[in-house]
Amino acid sequence: MEPIAKKSLIGQRVPKPDAPDKATGRTTYINDMVLPKMLYGKILHAGRPHALIKNIDVSAAKALPGVYAVLTAADVPEMFFGVGRDNRPLKGGKVRCVRDEVAAVAAESEELCDEALRLIKVDYEDLPAVFDPAEGAKEGAPLIHDNKPGNRSLAYQFKHGDVAAAEASSDVVIDSVFNVHYVTHCCMGTSCVIADFDCDGKLTIYSQTQYPYNFKMDLAPALGIHPGDIRVIQPPVGGAFGSKLDVYPFEPVCALLAQAARRPVKLTFSREEEFINAPTRQPVRIHMRTGAKKDGTLTFRKVDCLLNNGAYTSWGPTVPFVMMRTFSSHFRVPNVDIDCRAIYTNNPYAGSFRGYGNVQATYATSIHADMMAEKLGMELLTFSLKNAQKSGEVTPQGARLNECVFAECLQKAADVTDFTAKHARYAAERNKPGRIKRGIGMASSIHNAGGAKIHKSDGCGTMIKLDDYARATVITGASEIGQGIDAVICQVVAEELGIPMSDITIVNNDSAIAPWDVGVHASRTTFIAGNAAQRAARKAREQMLNAASKRANMPADALDLREGWVVHDSDGTPVLKIDKLLREMHFSREPELVMVSEYYEPPSEPENKEHVGDMSAAYSHAVHVAEVEVDTETGEIRIVKFTSVQDVGRVINEMGLEAQLEGGIVMGIGYALSEELKIVNGQVRNPSFRDYKVLTAPEVPPMELHFIESHSSTGPMGAKGIAELPTIVPAPAIANAVYNAIGIRFFDPPMTPEKVARAIWERDSKLAAAE
Amino acid sequence: MTAKVDISFTLNGHLKKVSVPADMSALTMLRDMLGMTGTKLACGEGECGACTIMVDGVSLNSCLMYAAECDGRTVLTIEGLRTAAGLDPMQKAFVEKGAIQCGYCMPGMIMQAKYLADTKGKMTHEELQRGLEGNVCRCTGYKKVFDAVAAVVGVTE
Amino acid sequence: MVSQATTESQTPQEYAAPSTIEEALRSIADGDATILAGGTDLMLQTKPGGRLPYRRKLVNIRRIAGLRGVGEKDGRISIGALVTITDIANNELLKTAAPVLPQTADCFASGQIRNMGTVGGNICNASPAGDMIVPLLVLDAEVELSAWAKGAVATRLVPLSKFFTGPGRTVKQPNELLTRIVFARPDKKYSVGYIKSGPRPALEISTVSAALSAIRDNDKLSSVRIALGAVGPTVLRAVKAEAYLEGKTVNAQVVAETARLAAEDASPIDDVRATAWYRRHLIQVYVKRLLENDSQG
Repeated sequence: MEPIAKKSLIGQRVPKPDAPDKATGRTTYINDMVLPKMLYGKILHAGRPHALIKNIDVSAAKALPGVYAVLTAADVPEMFFGVGRDNRPLKGGKVRCVRDEVAAVAAESEELCDEALRLIKVDYEDLPAVFDPAEGAKEGAPLIHDNKPGNRSLAYQFKHGDVAAAEASSDVVIDSVFNVHYVTHCCMGTSCVIADFDCDGKLTIYSQTQYPYNFKMDLAPALGIHPGDIRVIQPPVGGAFGSKLDVYPFEPVCALLAQAARRPVKLTFSREEEFINAPTRQPVRIHMRTGAKKDGTLTFRKVDCLLNNGAYTSWGPTVPFVMMRTFSSHFRVPNVDIDCRAIYTNNPYAGSFRGYGNVQATYATSIHADMMAEKLGMELLTFSLKNAQKSGEVTPQGARLNECVFAECLQKAADVTDFTAKHARYAAERNKPGRIKRGIGMASSIHNAGGAKIHKSDGCGTMIKLDDYARATVITGASEIGQGIDAVICQVVAEELGIPMSDITIVNNDSAIAPWDVGVHASRTTFIAGNAAQRAARKAREQMLNAASKRANMPADALDLREGWVVHDSDGTPVLKIDKLLREMHFSREPELVMVSEYYEPPSEPENKEHVGDMSAAYSHAVHVAEVEVDTETGEIRIVKFTSVQDVGRVINEMGLEAQLEGGIVMGIGYALSEELKIVNGQVRNPSFRDYKVLTAPEVPPMELHFIESHSSTGPMGAKGIAELPTIVPAPAIANAVYNAIGIRFFDPPMTPEKVARAIWERDSKLAAAE
Repeated sequence: MTAKVDISFTLNGHLKKVSVPADMSALTMLRDMLGMTGTKLACGEGECGACTIMVDGVSLNSCLMYAAECDGRTVLTIEGLRTAAGLDPMQKAFVEKGAIQCGYCMPGMIMQAKYLADTKGKMTHEELQRGLEGNVCRCTGYKKVFDAVAAVVGVTE
Repeated sequence: MVSQATTESQTPQEYAAPSTIEEALRSIADGDATILAGGTDLMLQTKPGGRLPYRRKLVNIRRIAGLRGVGEKDGRISIGALVTITDIANNELLKTAAPVLPQTADCFASGQIRNMGTVGGNICNASPAGDMIVPLLVLDAEVELSAWAKGAVATRLVPLSKFFTGPGRTVKQPNELLTRIVFARPDKKYSVGYIKSGPRPALEISTVSAALSAIRDNDKLSSVRIALGAVGPTVLRAVKAEAYLEGKTVNAQVVAETARLAAEDASPIDDVRATAWYRRHLIQVYVKRLLENDSQG
């Protein structure tokens, strides 16, 4: 036997293990599933923003042949659920937004459900409604929930240092109001759930959820059953992006239908329903005041945020958790005073969405950095480097920035794009004739990259077993929603166990099998589940090497596992095949199987009441540079080139990493330029891909990605979480580039052609009038 | 009563005879009557391309096609691309170039890519981008999709 | 024309797939039929709760070979109603004789929809934003309507500019089929341009689309026609702007005045896609670009 050299899988380009099935149509997504005896469910939504329900007549619907259950609030216990415990599966008494679930039916087909819904007669008495949180907060405004005076929902404050004194000592102060808008996830697979009760009243729910374990805890109160009596099965999903981190009414409604019909029930949204009823990103009015010294040193930020809560409280109004982090830690800000409050309105409501809060906050902080640099007469790069934190610094909220490479990211981004020279040139060319103007803009941000301890635990459980053929099964709490944790776990486990990735099966879709995990969110899964998998794999490795050590009569640390063999670590000489070793361990006098478990809890701490705490085990930065062309007549913006520089800790799967960044950036560009859920008087005006414009293939600019490897001391193999920063930073980079091109700031994305054309026309009309 | 239409057509090389309601879409027939769930329903309005199939070698949105119109024609779905020899080169390229994340749009994307490869062959990058304009993907940012198609047909700048 | 009783329901009660024009016309002679061509608009509009109920019979005309093909005879170009948008984009005769049509076809919806959608369907759908209608109006096209009358096929030609009566409404009678589109092959001195709003190159219900055609003789314009899409109840001709421009030589002032008049000719509304202000603004930008031969977006 030839010696086997040590080779690493880390940093390789690894296809997702589920890709062949997905590419051939073999994969059965939840939207494709059909269970024996299954019925279909549909919901009657209110379609009006605020009204009393005077009467509901479901008799005709009930009489329709093929209908098995018709439910209204009167048929089910009055149970509350949701982040704010202010939502009910079916609404009785009154409706508070267009989404409100007034009745639901289960029938033999979706067409029959539609027919039954058309037969339900609801008498409403419309109530005065409020759609603007500033109006909602006023005395005498229509009250949305009787027990929520002043329509007050969640509120957050954070103070550090002395902002008043800092302002008095500042040489320059800028003050702006940003209004960031409604967008929605647009998962390609629409919302879907299948519920099935057994004879003991235990529920099996096939769900798209991103957080299967806490999902049980959150779903149970909506149904009045014990969380332990819920089993969550996660079939493959068509995207999530944060939209499935809470329980939404259609899920308990489907379970209630299944309970009533004593049959499995599947409930799927149409695309139109998805646009109207699925969560949005939280819109925020951000009033920000920033100060600096002449030399460019930032002195303070004072921020006031008003959040449109909508009718109920999901994760949307909790985004200040992350917004405050950005306001207090995106650059070194010695004094901060942040006040955020959410006010109930009759609008639809927001959930969590990739970049959660930071998309909103970074739009303000990165534009203010550009404005401040200009006002100080400094280059943006110089200003940014002056205020960029270094490794070891602690932010006002207690985030310890270990392995911080913010300055390196800034410098790299400027160097590879020739930023400073172009920025000056385009500004100088702004007033020359010609309808196409060019601009370049830079933006940056910081995000948690080692989980986020917002629950009691931020951990992940993992079990590994090896069979007699050296095939490994990894049973992990980490959910796979397309992001690629499956490939990462295969790499990490194969690396430790010296077996091919193709010999690893991942089981992670059944709460009755896999151990607890807090969910796929907060850029945490590679970091947390990767660490858990690596630690579990190391236990298995140790067990195998100890057994091999006895058989080879060599110390365990002189052995290694490579390509299916136990080898001498020093020179790679093969000793024993791993599968043979495993069989010998199994069928011996003292039989042992390799089956190990690990629960990894990151070394982070929850925030205290003052919102201070090192809540992530790692942090990272990204810097984006957008180069744009603006058609000053039509207002169209074309991105000529998009460059991203990001601290990724260490590259594990290079291809998966690129794919997350590219997808995130394109989502971020859509947020900046074209995506907006238009909600007027509580009604969604553009519930279709025709009028809600996600980016399509021809609009995708050339992208250049650079990874900075800071080697996190806590991450698996040094990796950090990466998947949200790419969505967070593009919009202000583009806004700053547009300013560079045409000299107009946009505080209210998206920068649609009409908005840009109008702003240019208004400015030019004013200039003409002044002349 | 909704009129029923008896049709026969070739689906992925096999003759199918079915009776379909006159107003049924080809997508509904494929998914709900024939169990061919590889073709996806994502918008049902011709705006996203997830339901793309090929009929007589031409790509189209099966959600907008009347099932009755399949009569006498040759229908190819994502399931039909894979043969005894294995994955179609286009499917293989999508896997190897990392173009698949959640993958829900990919059956349609791959069918459209296959149509472009069959009808255009080598193309410019702009032609490739334009060729995929009817297929929405929310995960990938399309870049890895371009890489995959380019690996199969060759793309010039 | 006798008034005819029609049936409206959620689903068609009969289905026919004729293979000749005559067969089709006999099939729709009672006027109680919904015509299926490409299906890309019909499938959506007939969904339960949609704006278009089915009539008694669904008549699929896709099998009629006589409705296909692009040809030229005696200086007149004829496009069959069933010619797909993709066919138009790729047609060699049209690329030479009326390149504005392939150019417009290239901006139409998506590749998949271009493969299904037909030019006849796009016209009969009578959308105020109907893409193919805009260039056909400046080509002064006519549509041929056929019906079964007195035991024979009867046809009439209607100028496209007289065909539309409102959004989704036309002068076509329920027993008539749009069989082809005809227009005179444009003179060599003819110059035609088309612009559709972006930023997407296609897959967009246009915010505004505009086409302009004229005979350019040393910058002097005659036979001027300007058509605008998505800025009124139907695709429309900018008649005041056309009249003003006729016989003029292009200069900055003429361009500005034409653009201003074209915006006046339109009656845009505010909707979810754009405000009336932006539509008028774009009309002016596009008319200016078309006159300056600067249609490269």
